[in-house]
Amino acid sequence: MSDETFMGVLREKIPWFPTIDYSKCDFCMECDKFCPHQVFERREGEVKLVVANPANCVVFCRACAKTCGPDALSFPNKPEIIELIKRLREEGSNG
Amino acid sequence: MADRFAVLPCNGLDKPAGPLAREIALALVEACQGELICPVLYNNLPALYAKALELPLVVIDGCGTRCASKLAAERSLKVSRKLQVTEALKEMGESPGDALTPDAERLALCRRLAERLLSAPAEGTTLDTEAAFSEPVEYATVTHDKFIFRIPMKGYLFNENHCWARIAGNRARVGISDYMQQEMSDLTFCELPEVGTEVSQFDAVGSVESVKAVSDIISPVSGRVVAVNAAAAASPEIINEDPYVRGWVAEIELQDLESDRALLLDGEAYLALVRQKAADYHP
Repeated sequence: MSDETFMGVLREKIPWFPTIDYSKCDFCMECDKFCPHQVFERREGEVKLVVANPANCVVFCRACAKTCGPDALSFPNKPEIIELIKRLREEGSNG
Repeated sequence: MADRFAVLPCNGLDKPAGPLAREIALALVEACQGELICPVLYNNLPALYAKALELPLVVIDGCGTRCASKLAAERSLKVSRKLQVTEALKEMGESPGDALTPDAERLALCRRLAERLLSAPAEGTTLDTEAAFSEPVEYATVTHDKFIFRIPMKGYLFNENHCWARIAGNRARVGISDYMQQEMSDLTFCELPEVGTEVSQFDAVGSVESVKAVSDIISPVSGRVVAVNAAAAASPEIINEDPYVRGWVAEIELQDLESDRALLLDGEAYLALVRQKAADYHP
């Protein structure tokens, strides 16, 4: 499936997705309402929201973080991710 | 004596960044003998501020929802300078904190941000690169079901976030592809980057919003934003109508195109990607 690759690299090998800082998150669900890719899922109990489908997250998109009032969403370091993609592409073409 | 400005701040009274936006606005108005615009009253009675809005406009957003910017865009106001408080504080290693009443330390930060806004270079006027970017474009098409996606074959580079860069000399214009605008359907809002912003490859250079979704515009190239397309912000439907030419979003002075190019697709490769996506999503 082409869905599972990004820039020629298996999507699951690219660790790009939001991380919820539960010390800040107030479970307002704005990010979940916003994201059209079902990255988040709501849960019963104390932790009411989780990053359930990280591979659905669009690589380099950080748009959900802008909806977050308490600034509880963070993303990986982009230059590092780009380096990783470059490396994996080279490995792929050599292998 | 500094230039006078009209200042439109965020009115977020229930979040810590809102009162900070207000403090910055007050400091700014005092420093430049400017005019303060209340977003709530302006929303109800815009005519009250017609005179004030003859001044160049500074928009101050508290947080990422950018209500003040959106209000300015809805009313087609020309923004001369803008500031997003939460981001600006983050760059300074600070945050808006938890309190709705700013403490002395944050008030001092607000004054610093106000000074910075006053001394910032004015938003650049569009440079005369129209000629370079108005060469006619030849399109190839991918037809899938009832969809027809156009892809320019020459002079454009693409990333897999469905954004393009049209290259002319050491400049590039960037925007979203025909595939992306059709996937999003009718656009209702386009947020532009600030002129002067340094962007790395794959940084967001604004965003587009439709009834279906909001999406970052991911820049295929690195460099400095030298112009933005105010027409696209005022009438986002331009992007739907003509995504590759009139619907450009930002113009970037290129920093290292050769290095950027290694991670981009040419028209032919992007066409293959669109063909595959169209088959996956609309089988």
